[in-house]
Amino acid sequence: MKPQAFSNMHRLQKVLFGIVFLALWEAAGRLFHISDLVLPVPSAIVGKLVSFSVSGLIWPHLYATVVEIIVGFLLGVVSGLVLGVLLSLSPLVERLIYPYIVALQTLPKVAIAPLFIIWFGYGLTSKVIVSALVCFFPVLVSVVAGFHATDKDQLDMMKAFGASKWQTLVRLRVPSALVLIFAGLEIAAVLAVIGAVVGEFVGAQAGLGFLIVTLNFNLDVPGVFAVLIYLSAIGLLLHGLMRFAARRYIFWIRRNDAPVVA
Amino acid sequence: MRTENAVQGQVRRADLLPSAQGAASAAPLIQIAGLEKRFITRSGEPVVALSNVNLDIRENEFISVVGPSGCGKTTLLRILAGLEHATGGMVRAGGEAISAPRDDVGIVFQQATLLPWNTVLSNVLLPVQLKGDRSQAVMDRAKRLLSFVGLGGFVQKYPFELSGGMQQRVAICRALMREPRVLLMDEPFGALDAMTRETMNLELMRLWSEERKTVVFITHSIPEAVLLGDRVIVMSPRPGRISEIVDVDLGRPRSLQTMSSARFGELCGHIRAIFGSDSPMGVSL
Repeated sequence: MKPQAFSNMHRLQKVLFGIVFLALWEAAGRLFHISDLVLPVPSAIVGKLVSFSVSGLIWPHLYATVVEIIVGFLLGVVSGLVLGVLLSLSPLVERLIYPYIVALQTLPKVAIAPLFIIWFGYGLTSKVIVSALVCFFPVLVSVVAGFHATDKDQLDMMKAFGASKWQTLVRLRVPSALVLIFAGLEIAAVLAVIGAVVGEFVGAQAGLGFLIVTLNFNLDVPGVFAVLIYLSAIGLLLHGLMRFAARRYIFWIRRNDAPVVA
Repeated sequence: MRTENAVQGQVRRADLLPSAQGAASAAPLIQIAGLEKRFITRSGEPVVALSNVNLDIRENEFISVVGPSGCGKTTLLRILAGLEHATGGMVRAGGEAISAPRDDVGIVFQQATLLPWNTVLSNVLLPVQLKGDRSQAVMDRAKRLLSFVGLGGFVQKYPFELSGGMQQRVAICRALMREPRVLLMDEPFGALDAMTRETMNLELMRLWSEERKTVVFITHSIPEAVLLGDRVIVMSPRPGRISEIVDVDLGRPRSLQTMSSARFGELCGHIRAIFGSDSPMGVSL
Protein backbone atom coordinates (compact mmCIF):
# COMPACT_ATOMS: atom_id res chain seq x y z
CA MET A 1 0.00 0.00 0.00
CA LYS A 2 2.65 2.48 1.09
CA PRO A 3 4.88 2.44 -2.02
CA GLN A 4 1.70 2.82 -4.10
CA ALA A 5 0.64 5.93 -2.17
CA PHE A 6 4.17 7.21 -2.46
CA SER A 7 4.26 6.85 -6.25
CA ASN A 8 0.84 8.53 -6.53
CA MET A 9 2.18 11.45 -4.56
CA HIS A 10 5.19 11.68 -6.85
CA ARG A 11 2.94 11.64 -9.89
CA LEU A 12 0.83 14.44 -8.42
CA GLN A 13 3.97 16.46 -7.73
CA LYS A 14 5.11 16.04 -11.32
CA VAL A 15 1.74 17.18 -12.72
CA LEU A 16 1.62 20.12 -10.34
CA PHE A 17 5.11 21.18 -11.36
CA GLY A 18 4.05 21.14 -15.01
CA ILE A 19 0.98 23.25 -14.32
CA VAL A 20 2.93 25.80 -12.26
CA PHE A 21 5.57 26.01 -14.99
CA LEU A 22 2.96 26.67 -17.70
CA ALA A 23 1.21 29.25 -15.50
CA LEU A 24 4.49 31.11 -14.89
CA TRP A 25 5.25 31.02 -18.63
CA GLU A 26 1.81 32.44 -19.43
CA ALA A 27 2.11 35.13 -16.72
CA ALA A 28 5.61 36.14 -17.80
CA GLY A 29 4.57 36.35 -21.44
CA ARG A 30 1.63 38.62 -20.67
CA LEU A 31 3.42 40.71 -18.01
CA PHE A 32 6.50 41.48 -20.09
CA HIS A 33 4.59 41.62 -23.40
CA ILE A 34 6.83 39.06 -25.03
CA SER A 35 6.02 38.98 -28.72
CA ASP A 36 4.43 35.82 -30.13
CA LEU A 37 7.20 35.95 -32.73
CA VAL A 38 9.77 35.25 -30.06
CA LEU A 39 8.03 33.04 -27.52
CA PRO A 40 4.26 32.53 -27.76
CA VAL A 41 2.36 32.00 -24.51
CA PRO A 42 0.84 28.55 -23.84
CA SER A 43 -2.73 29.81 -24.39
CA ALA A 44 -1.83 31.02 -27.92
CA ILE A 45 -0.29 27.63 -28.71
CA VAL A 46 -3.33 25.76 -27.41
CA GLY A 47 -5.52 28.11 -29.49
CA LYS A 48 -3.58 27.13 -32.62
CA LEU A 49 -3.75 23.48 -31.68
CA VAL A 50 -7.53 23.67 -31.50
CA SER A 51 -7.95 25.74 -34.66
CA PHE A 52 -5.70 23.41 -36.67
CA SER A 53 -7.82 20.45 -35.65
CA VAL A 54 -11.16 22.20 -36.12
CA SER A 55 -10.27 23.62 -39.55
CA GLY A 56 -8.93 20.21 -40.57
CA LEU A 57 -5.71 21.81 -41.80
CA ILE A 58 -3.58 19.43 -39.73
CA TRP A 59 -5.02 16.06 -40.82
CA PRO A 60 -3.45 15.52 -44.25
CA HIS A 61 -0.07 16.57 -42.86
CA LEU A 62 -0.43 14.45 -39.76
CA TYR A 63 -1.46 11.51 -41.92
CA ALA A 64 1.53 11.90 -44.25
CA THR A 65 4.03 12.12 -41.41
CA VAL A 66 2.53 9.23 -39.45
CA VAL A 67 2.64 7.00 -42.54
CA GLU A 68 6.28 7.97 -43.18
CA ILE A 69 7.24 7.30 -39.58
CA ILE A 70 5.48 3.96 -39.30
CA VAL A 71 6.61 2.58 -42.66
CA GLY A 72 10.11 3.99 -42.16
CA PHE A 73 10.32 2.57 -38.64
CA LEU A 74 9.13 -0.88 -39.71
CA LEU A 75 11.44 -0.94 -42.72
CA GLY A 76 14.44 0.20 -40.68
CA VAL A 77 13.73 -2.16 -37.79
CA VAL A 78 13.11 -5.23 -39.95
CA SER A 79 16.21 -4.70 -42.08
CA GLY A 80 18.27 -3.91 -38.97
CA LEU A 81 17.05 -7.10 -37.28
CA VAL A 82 17.63 -9.29 -40.33
CA LEU A 83 21.10 -7.99 -41.09
CA GLY A 84 21.99 -7.98 -37.39
CA VAL A 85 21.04 -11.64 -37.02
CA LEU A 86 22.94 -12.55 -40.21
CA LEU A 87 26.04 -10.77 -38.91
CA SER A 88 25.74 -12.38 -35.50
CA LEU A 89 25.33 -15.88 -36.89
CA SER A 90 28.41 -15.66 -39.08
CA PRO A 91 31.59 -14.43 -37.41
CA LEU A 92 33.23 -14.20 -40.84
CA VAL A 93 30.54 -11.91 -42.27
CA GLU A 94 30.65 -9.87 -39.09
CA ARG A 95 34.39 -9.43 -39.34
CA LEU A 96 34.15 -8.40 -42.99
CA ILE A 97 31.13 -6.12 -42.94
CA TYR A 98 30.71 -4.75 -39.43
CA PRO A 99 33.63 -2.26 -39.55
CA TYR A 100 32.14 -0.70 -42.70
CA ILE A 101 28.75 -0.46 -41.09
CA VAL A 102 30.24 1.27 -38.07
CA ALA A 103 32.08 3.65 -40.40
CA LEU A 104 28.85 4.36 -42.30
CA GLN A 105 27.08 5.01 -39.03
CA THR A 106 29.36 7.92 -38.26
CA LEU A 107 28.03 9.59 -41.40
CA PRO A 108 25.28 12.07 -40.49
CA LYS A 109 22.25 10.52 -42.20
CA VAL A 110 20.62 13.96 -42.24
CA ALA A 111 23.35 15.16 -44.57
CA ILE A 112 22.45 12.60 -47.23
CA ALA A 113 18.73 13.36 -47.08
CA PRO A 114 18.97 15.71 -50.09
CA LEU A 115 20.33 12.79 -52.14
CA PHE A 116 17.25 10.76 -51.36
CA ILE A 117 15.04 13.57 -52.61
CA ILE A 118 16.91 13.38 -55.90
CA TRP A 119 16.73 9.60 -56.05
CA PHE A 120 13.21 9.04 -54.77
CA GLY A 121 11.40 12.32 -55.44
CA TYR A 122 9.32 14.68 -53.33
CA GLY A 123 6.72 12.09 -52.36
CA LEU A 124 6.46 9.81 -49.33
CA THR A 125 9.13 7.38 -50.51
CA SER A 126 12.15 9.61 -49.89
CA LYS A 127 10.95 10.40 -46.35
CA VAL A 128 10.30 6.74 -45.62
CA ILE A 129 13.83 5.92 -46.74
CA VAL A 130 15.44 8.61 -44.58
CA SER A 131 13.39 7.51 -41.57
CA ALA A 132 14.23 3.85 -42.19
CA LEU A 133 17.92 4.64 -42.54
CA VAL A 134 18.18 6.46 -39.22
CA CYS A 135 16.28 3.62 -37.47
CA PHE A 136 18.34 0.93 -39.12
CA PHE A 137 21.69 1.59 -37.46
CA PRO A 138 20.73 1.58 -33.78
CA VAL A 139 18.70 -1.60 -34.31
CA LEU A 140 21.53 -3.32 -36.16
CA VAL A 141 24.08 -2.34 -33.53
CA SER A 142 21.78 -3.44 -30.71
CA VAL A 143 21.27 -6.86 -32.32
CA VAL A 144 25.00 -7.42 -32.79
CA ALA A 145 25.79 -6.13 -29.28
CA GLY A 146 22.88 -8.16 -27.90
CA PHE A 147 24.21 -11.42 -29.28
CA HIS A 148 27.66 -10.59 -27.92
CA ALA A 149 26.15 -9.92 -24.49
CA THR A 150 25.25 -13.56 -23.85
CA ASP A 151 26.48 -14.49 -20.39
CA LYS A 152 29.58 -16.69 -20.57
CA ASP A 153 28.53 -18.78 -17.59
CA GLN A 154 25.15 -19.43 -19.20
CA LEU A 155 26.90 -20.53 -22.40
CA ASP A 156 29.01 -22.95 -20.33
CA MET A 157 25.88 -24.21 -18.64
CA MET A 158 24.16 -24.91 -21.98
CA LYS A 159 27.28 -26.63 -23.26
CA ALA A 160 27.64 -28.73 -20.11
CA PHE A 161 24.06 -29.95 -20.53
CA GLY A 162 24.83 -30.89 -24.11
CA ALA A 163 22.84 -28.22 -25.94
CA SER A 164 23.33 -28.04 -29.71
CA LYS A 165 24.26 -24.75 -31.42
CA TRP A 166 20.65 -24.29 -32.50
CA GLN A 167 19.27 -25.04 -29.01
CA THR A 168 21.72 -22.56 -27.49
CA LEU A 169 20.60 -19.96 -30.01
CA VAL A 170 16.89 -20.42 -29.39
CA ARG A 171 16.91 -20.97 -25.65
CA LEU A 172 19.74 -18.67 -24.61
CA ARG A 173 21.25 -16.31 -27.15
CA VAL A 174 18.07 -14.89 -28.67
CA PRO A 175 16.32 -14.21 -25.35
CA SER A 176 19.54 -12.68 -23.95
CA ALA A 177 19.85 -10.44 -27.00
CA LEU A 178 16.27 -9.19 -26.61
CA VAL A 179 17.28 -6.93 -23.73
CA LEU A 180 19.58 -4.79 -25.86
CA ILE A 181 17.39 -5.16 -28.95
CA PHE A 182 14.48 -3.54 -27.15
CA ALA A 183 16.77 -0.72 -26.04
CA GLY A 184 17.64 -0.27 -29.72
CA LEU A 185 13.96 -0.26 -30.67
CA GLU A 186 13.25 2.49 -28.15
CA ILE A 187 15.98 4.64 -29.66
CA ALA A 188 14.76 3.83 -33.17
CA ALA A 189 11.22 4.92 -32.25
CA VAL A 190 12.48 8.42 -31.45
CA LEU A 191 14.83 8.55 -34.44
CA ALA A 192 12.05 7.52 -36.86
CA VAL A 193 10.22 10.79 -36.11
CA ILE A 194 13.40 12.82 -36.58
CA GLY A 195 14.15 11.08 -39.87
CA ALA A 196 10.71 11.74 -41.32
CA VAL A 197 10.69 15.42 -40.29
CA VAL A 198 14.21 16.05 -41.59
CA GLY A 199 13.21 14.43 -44.88
CA GLU A 200 10.25 16.78 -45.08
CA PHE A 201 12.44 19.80 -44.32
CA VAL A 202 14.58 19.01 -47.32
CA GLY A 203 11.74 18.65 -49.75
CA ALA A 204 8.11 17.63 -49.41
CA GLN A 205 4.58 18.45 -50.46
CA ALA A 206 2.92 17.46 -47.19
CA GLY A 207 3.73 16.45 -43.63
CA LEU A 208 4.26 18.09 -40.26
CA GLY A 209 7.87 18.98 -41.14
CA PHE A 210 6.66 20.62 -44.32
CA LEU A 211 3.99 22.44 -42.27
CA ILE A 212 6.61 23.74 -39.83
CA VAL A 213 8.68 25.17 -42.69
CA THR A 214 5.58 26.84 -44.16
CA LEU A 215 4.40 28.28 -40.83
CA ASN A 216 7.91 29.46 -40.04
CA PHE A 217 8.01 31.24 -43.38
CA ASN A 218 4.77 33.03 -42.42
CA LEU A 219 6.20 33.89 -38.99
CA ASP A 220 3.38 31.89 -37.36
CA VAL A 221 5.42 30.90 -34.33
CA PRO A 222 2.46 29.72 -32.18
CA GLY A 223 1.53 27.50 -35.15
CA VAL A 224 5.05 26.03 -35.22
CA PHE A 225 4.81 25.25 -31.51
CA ALA A 226 1.41 23.61 -32.04
CA VAL A 227 2.88 21.31 -34.73
CA LEU A 228 5.80 20.51 -32.41
CA ILE A 229 3.28 19.28 -29.85
CA TYR A 230 1.77 16.95 -32.46
CA LEU A 231 5.22 15.66 -33.31
CA SER A 232 6.24 15.00 -29.73
CA ALA A 233 2.89 13.26 -29.15
CA ILE A 234 3.68 10.88 -32.03
CA GLY A 235 7.18 10.28 -30.69
CA LEU A 236 5.94 9.65 -27.15
CA LEU A 237 3.27 7.27 -28.42
CA LEU A 238 5.72 5.21 -30.46
CA HIS A 239 8.30 5.22 -27.68
CA GLY A 240 5.63 4.24 -25.13
CA LEU A 241 4.55 1.40 -27.39
CA MET A 242 8.11 0.08 -27.45
CA ARG A 243 8.36 0.43 -23.67
CA PHE A 244 5.14 -1.49 -23.29
CA ALA A 245 6.36 -4.25 -25.60
CA ALA A 246 9.68 -4.38 -23.74
CA ARG A 247 7.96 -4.74 -20.39
CA ARG A 248 5.89 -7.55 -21.83
CA TYR A 249 8.62 -9.45 -23.66
CA ILE A 250 11.60 -8.88 -21.37
CA PHE A 251 9.60 -9.03 -18.17
CA TRP A 252 12.54 -10.44 -16.19
CA ILE A 253 14.38 -7.13 -16.37
CA ARG A 254 12.90 -5.40 -13.36
CA ARG A 255 15.97 -4.20 -11.62
CA ASN A 256 14.11 -2.13 -9.07
CA ASP A 257 12.00 -5.02 -7.87
CA ALA A 258 13.24 -6.63 -4.69
CA PRO A 259 12.80 -10.40 -4.57
CA VAL A 260 9.21 -11.23 -3.74
CA VAL A 261 10.33 -13.86 -1.28
CA ALA A 262 13.18 -13.00 1.02
CA MET B 1 51.47 -28.90 15.01
CA ARG B 2 49.30 -30.32 17.72
CA THR B 3 46.97 -31.82 15.15
CA GLU B 4 49.73 -32.94 12.86
CA ASN B 5 50.45 -36.18 14.68
CA ALA B 6 46.84 -36.99 15.45
CA VAL B 7 45.79 -36.83 11.79
CA GLN B 8 48.83 -38.50 10.36
CA GLY B 9 47.20 -41.91 10.15
CA GLN B 10 44.39 -40.65 7.88
CA VAL B 11 46.58 -38.70 5.55
CA ARG B 12 48.27 -40.05 2.48
CA ARG B 13 50.61 -38.14 0.23
CA ALA B 14 49.06 -37.50 -3.17
CA ASP B 15 51.92 -39.23 -4.94
CA LEU B 16 51.12 -42.54 -3.29
CA LEU B 17 48.99 -44.90 -5.29
CA PRO B 18 45.35 -44.95 -4.29
CA SER B 19 45.40 -48.75 -4.13
CA ALA B 20 46.20 -48.51 -0.45
CA GLN B 21 42.65 -47.37 0.13
CA GLY B 22 40.43 -48.63 -2.66
CA ALA B 23 41.79 -52.15 -2.86
CA ALA B 24 38.52 -53.84 -1.97
CA SER B 25 36.18 -51.79 -4.22
CA ALA B 26 35.69 -52.15 -7.99
CA ALA B 27 37.40 -49.97 -10.59
CA PRO B 28 37.04 -46.27 -9.74
CA LEU B 29 34.29 -44.33 -11.51
CA ILE B 30 36.60 -41.44 -12.34
CA GLN B 31 40.28 -41.90 -13.02
CA ILE B 32 42.64 -38.97 -13.28
CA ALA B 33 46.27 -39.76 -14.01
CA GLY B 34 49.14 -37.41 -14.75
CA LEU B 35 46.68 -34.69 -15.68
CA GLU B 36 48.24 -31.49 -16.92
CA LYS B 37 46.67 -28.25 -18.19
CA ARG B 38 48.60 -25.36 -19.66
CA PHE B 39 47.15 -22.03 -20.75
CA ILE B 40 48.63 -19.29 -22.81
CA THR B 41 47.62 -15.95 -21.31
CA ARG B 42 46.70 -12.94 -23.42
CA SER B 43 50.16 -11.53 -22.92
CA GLY B 44 51.56 -14.77 -24.34
CA GLU B 45 53.00 -16.26 -21.17
CA PRO B 46 52.36 -19.93 -20.56
CA VAL B 47 50.64 -20.77 -17.28
CA VAL B 48 50.55 -24.25 -15.77
CA ALA B 49 47.05 -24.48 -14.31
CA LEU B 50 47.35 -28.13 -13.35
CA SER B 51 50.42 -30.27 -13.02
CA ASN B 52 50.60 -34.03 -12.51
CA VAL B 53 47.19 -34.48 -10.91
CA ASN B 54 46.46 -38.08 -9.92
CA LEU B 55 43.15 -39.00 -8.36
CA ASP B 56 40.75 -41.93 -8.40
CA ILE B 57 37.16 -41.30 -7.40
CA ARG B 58 34.97 -44.22 -6.38
CA GLU B 59 31.30 -44.56 -7.18
CA ASN B 60 29.08 -42.70 -4.68
CA GLU B 61 32.01 -40.98 -3.09
CA PHE B 62 31.75 -37.36 -1.95
CA ILE B 63 34.97 -35.61 -2.84
CA SER B 64 35.66 -32.08 -1.60
CA VAL B 65 38.33 -30.07 -3.36
CA VAL B 66 39.74 -27.17 -1.40
CA GLY B 67 42.46 -24.72 -2.23
CA PRO B 68 43.28 -21.05 -2.68
CA SER B 69 42.34 -19.16 -5.83
CA GLY B 70 44.62 -20.06 -8.71
CA CYS B 71 45.19 -23.64 -7.57
CA GLY B 72 43.37 -24.96 -10.62
CA LYS B 73 40.40 -26.48 -8.80
CA THR B 74 37.88 -24.91 -11.17
CA THR B 75 39.99 -25.97 -14.16
CA LEU B 76 39.97 -29.53 -12.82
CA LEU B 77 36.18 -29.45 -12.56
CA ARG B 78 35.79 -27.96 -16.04
CA ILE B 79 37.93 -30.76 -17.45
CA LEU B 80 35.78 -33.32 -15.64
CA ALA B 81 32.70 -31.59 -17.10
CA GLY B 82 34.13 -31.83 -20.61
CA LEU B 83 34.13 -28.04 -20.95
CA GLU B 84 37.89 -27.92 -21.28
CA HIS B 85 40.51 -30.31 -22.55
CA ALA B 86 43.58 -31.46 -20.69
CA THR B 87 46.92 -30.77 -22.35
CA GLY B 88 48.41 -33.91 -20.88
CA GLY B 89 47.60 -37.03 -18.93
CA MET B 90 44.35 -38.95 -18.77
CA VAL B 91 40.86 -38.32 -17.44
CA ARG B 92 38.32 -41.11 -17.60
CA ALA B 93 34.77 -41.56 -16.40
CA GLY B 94 33.37 -45.08 -16.38
CA GLY B 95 36.41 -46.21 -18.37
CA GLU B 96 35.89 -43.71 -21.23
CA ALA B 97 38.08 -40.68 -21.81
CA ILE B 98 36.20 -37.42 -21.13
CA SER B 99 36.36 -35.33 -24.29
CA ALA B 100 32.98 -33.58 -24.27
CA PRO B 101 30.09 -32.93 -21.86
CA ARG B 102 28.44 -36.22 -20.89
CA ASP B 103 24.79 -37.03 -20.26
CA ASP B 104 25.59 -38.82 -17.00
CA VAL B 105 27.28 -35.79 -15.47
CA GLY B 106 25.36 -32.96 -13.82
CA ILE B 107 26.93 -29.64 -12.99
CA VAL B 108 26.21 -26.76 -10.61
CA PHE B 109 28.11 -23.50 -11.04
CA GLN B 110 28.88 -20.77 -8.54
CA GLN B 111 26.20 -18.64 -10.15
CA ALA B 112 22.82 -20.35 -10.43
CA THR B 113 22.89 -19.62 -14.21
CA LEU B 114 19.12 -20.08 -14.46
CA LEU B 115 17.46 -18.79 -17.60
CA PRO B 116 15.63 -15.69 -16.35
CA TRP B 117 12.88 -15.93 -18.99
CA ASN B 118 11.92 -19.47 -17.99
CA THR B 119 9.94 -20.56 -14.94
CA VAL B 120 11.56 -22.58 -12.17
CA LEU B 121 9.97 -25.76 -13.53
CA SER B 122 11.08 -25.07 -17.07
CA ASN B 123 14.63 -24.34 -15.85
CA VAL B 124 14.77 -27.68 -14.06
CA LEU B 125 13.43 -29.43 -17.16
CA LEU B 126 16.06 -27.83 -19.42
CA PRO B 127 18.59 -30.72 -19.44
CA VAL B 128 15.95 -33.31 -20.38
CA GLN B 129 14.23 -31.01 -22.87
CA LEU B 130 17.56 -30.50 -24.63
CA LYS B 131 17.52 -34.28 -25.17
CA GLY B 132 13.97 -34.07 -26.52
CA ASP B 133 12.30 -35.70 -23.51
CA ARG B 134 9.03 -33.94 -22.72
CA SER B 135 7.31 -36.87 -21.06
CA GLN B 136 5.08 -36.76 -18.00
CA ALA B 137 7.68 -38.83 -16.16
CA VAL B 138 10.36 -36.12 -16.30
CA MET B 139 7.74 -33.54 -15.37
CA ASP B 140 6.91 -35.58 -12.29
CA ARG B 141 10.57 -36.02 -11.45
CA ALA B 142 11.21 -32.26 -11.71
CA LYS B 143 8.31 -31.52 -9.40
CA ARG B 144 9.43 -34.21 -6.95
CA LEU B 145 12.97 -32.82 -6.85
CA LEU B 146 11.69 -29.29 -6.33
CA SER B 147 9.42 -30.35 -3.47
CA PHE B 148 12.30 -32.26 -1.94
CA VAL B 149 14.33 -29.04 -1.68
CA GLY B 150 11.29 -27.17 -0.38
CA LEU B 151 10.38 -25.37 -3.59
CA GLY B 152 7.19 -27.29 -4.37
CA GLY B 153 5.20 -24.07 -4.23
CA PHE B 154 7.50 -22.19 -6.58
CA VAL B 155 7.38 -24.23 -9.77
CA GLN B 156 5.65 -21.51 -11.76
CA LYS B 157 7.73 -18.64 -10.35
CA TYR B 158 10.55 -16.97 -12.25
CA PRO B 159 14.16 -16.95 -10.99
CA PHE B 160 14.07 -13.21 -10.23
CA GLU B 161 11.30 -13.90 -7.73
CA LEU B 162 13.57 -16.21 -5.70
CA SER B 163 16.38 -15.54 -3.23
CA GLY B 164 19.97 -16.57 -4.03
CA GLY B 165 19.73 -19.75 -1.95
CA MET B 166 16.50 -20.78 -3.63
CA GLN B 167 17.97 -20.13 -7.08
CA GLN B 168 20.92 -22.37 -6.25
CA ARG B 169 18.52 -25.11 -5.10
CA VAL B 170 16.80 -24.89 -8.47
CA ALA B 171 20.21 -25.21 -10.14
CA ILE B 172 20.92 -28.35 -8.09
CA CYS B 173 17.57 -29.86 -9.10
CA ARG B 174 18.40 -29.05 -12.72
CA ALA B 175 21.76 -30.83 -12.40
CA LEU B 176 20.02 -33.90 -10.93
CA MET B 177 17.33 -34.02 -13.61
CA ARG B 178 19.03 -36.56 -15.87
CA GLU B 179 19.85 -38.78 -12.89
CA PRO B 180 23.58 -38.31 -13.41
CA ARG B 181 26.11 -40.68 -11.91
CA VAL B 182 28.42 -37.75 -11.22
CA LEU B 183 27.50 -34.37 -9.79
CA LEU B 184 30.08 -31.62 -10.25
CA MET B 185 29.74 -28.56 -8.03
CA ASP B 186 31.93 -25.49 -8.50
CA GLU B 187 31.74 -23.42 -5.31
CA PRO B 188 27.95 -23.65 -5.51
CA PHE B 189 27.39 -21.82 -2.24
CA GLY B 190 30.26 -19.36 -2.59
CA ALA B 191 27.95 -16.47 -3.41
CA LEU B 192 25.59 -17.12 -0.50
CA ASP B 193 25.67 -15.61 2.98
CA ALA B 194 27.06 -17.72 5.84
CA MET B 195 23.67 -18.68 7.31
CA THR B 196 22.16 -19.72 3.99
CA ARG B 197 25.36 -21.56 3.23
CA GLU B 198 25.05 -23.75 6.33
CA THR B 199 21.44 -24.55 5.50
CA MET B 200 22.44 -25.44 1.96
CA ASN B 201 25.21 -27.72 3.25
CA LEU B 202 22.70 -29.64 5.35
CA GLU B 203 20.28 -29.74 2.46
CA LEU B 204 22.95 -31.08 0.13
CA MET B 205 23.86 -33.84 2.61
CA ARG B 206 20.19 -34.78 2.92
CA LEU B 207 19.87 -34.85 -0.86
CA TRP B 208 23.03 -36.90 -1.21
CA SER B 209 21.78 -39.49 1.28
CA GLU B 210 18.58 -39.72 -0.80
CA GLU B 211 20.05 -39.68 -4.31
CA ARG B 212 23.39 -41.36 -3.88
CA LYS B 213 25.82 -39.81 -6.40
CA THR B 214 29.48 -39.39 -6.94
CA VAL B 215 30.04 -35.76 -6.04
CA VAL B 216 33.01 -33.53 -6.76
CA PHE B 217 32.50 -30.42 -4.67
CA ILE B 218 34.80 -27.44 -5.06
CA THR B 219 35.05 -24.89 -2.31
CA HIS B 220 37.48 -22.50 -0.72
CA SER B 221 36.04 -23.10 2.74
CA ILE B 222 37.92 -25.71 4.76
CA PRO B 223 35.06 -26.41 7.22
CA GLU B 224 32.64 -26.85 4.33
CA ALA B 225 35.04 -29.26 2.62
CA VAL B 226 35.44 -31.34 5.78
CA LEU B 227 31.76 -31.30 6.71
CA LEU B 228 30.65 -32.59 3.31
CA GLY B 229 33.45 -34.78 2.02
CA ASP B 230 34.46 -38.40 2.39
CA ARG B 231 37.86 -37.22 1.27
CA VAL B 232 39.23 -33.71 0.97
CA ILE B 233 41.58 -33.02 -1.91
CA VAL B 234 43.88 -30.21 -0.86
CA MET B 235 45.29 -28.26 -3.79
CA SER B 236 48.06 -25.69 -4.01
CA PRO B 237 48.77 -23.04 -6.65
CA ARG B 238 51.67 -22.28 -8.97
CA PRO B 239 51.55 -24.82 -10.47
CA GLY B 240 48.08 -26.12 -9.55
CA ARG B 241 48.59 -29.52 -7.96
CA ILE B 242 47.27 -31.86 -5.29
CA SER B 243 49.34 -31.42 -2.17
CA GLU B 244 47.46 -33.86 0.00
CA ILE B 245 44.41 -36.08 0.17
CA VAL B 246 42.77 -36.16 3.58
CA ASP B 247 40.35 -38.91 4.57
CA VAL B 248 37.49 -37.54 6.63
CA ASP B 249 36.77 -40.23 9.19
CA LEU B 250 33.68 -38.55 10.60
CA GLY B 251 30.57 -40.73 10.79
CA ARG B 252 27.39 -40.05 8.85
CA PRO B 253 24.84 -38.62 9.03
CA ARG B 254 26.66 -35.42 9.84
CA SER B 255 25.02 -32.27 11.15
CA LEU B 256 26.09 -28.84 12.31
CA GLN B 257 26.96 -30.52 15.64
CA THR B 258 29.64 -32.42 13.77
CA MET B 259 31.38 -29.10 13.28
CA SER B 260 31.87 -28.66 17.02
CA SER B 261 33.44 -32.09 17.51
CA ALA B 262 37.14 -32.34 18.35
CA ARG B 263 37.89 -34.53 15.34
CA PHE B 264 36.35 -31.98 12.99
CA GLY B 265 38.57 -29.31 14.46
CA GLU B 266 41.64 -31.51 14.09
CA LEU B 267 40.93 -32.23 10.43
CA CYS B 268 40.35 -28.54 9.65
CA GLY B 269 43.50 -27.66 11.56
CA HIS B 270 45.52 -30.18 9.62
CA ILE B 271 44.33 -28.85 6.25
CA ARG B 272 44.94 -25.32 7.40
CA ALA B 273 48.49 -26.28 8.29
CA ILE B 274 49.08 -27.52 4.72
CA PHE B 275 48.43 -24.04 3.37
CA GLY B 276 50.70 -22.53 5.98
CA SER B 277 49.65 -19.88 8.44
CA ASP B 278 51.54 -17.06 6.70
CA SER B 279 49.83 -17.10 3.29
CA PRO B 280 46.14 -17.98 3.44
CA MET B 281 45.67 -16.67 -0.14
CA GLY B 282 41.93 -16.56 -0.23
CA VAL B 283 41.27 -19.72 1.77
CA SER B 284 38.80 -19.06 4.54
CA LEU B 285 40.42 -20.47 7.65
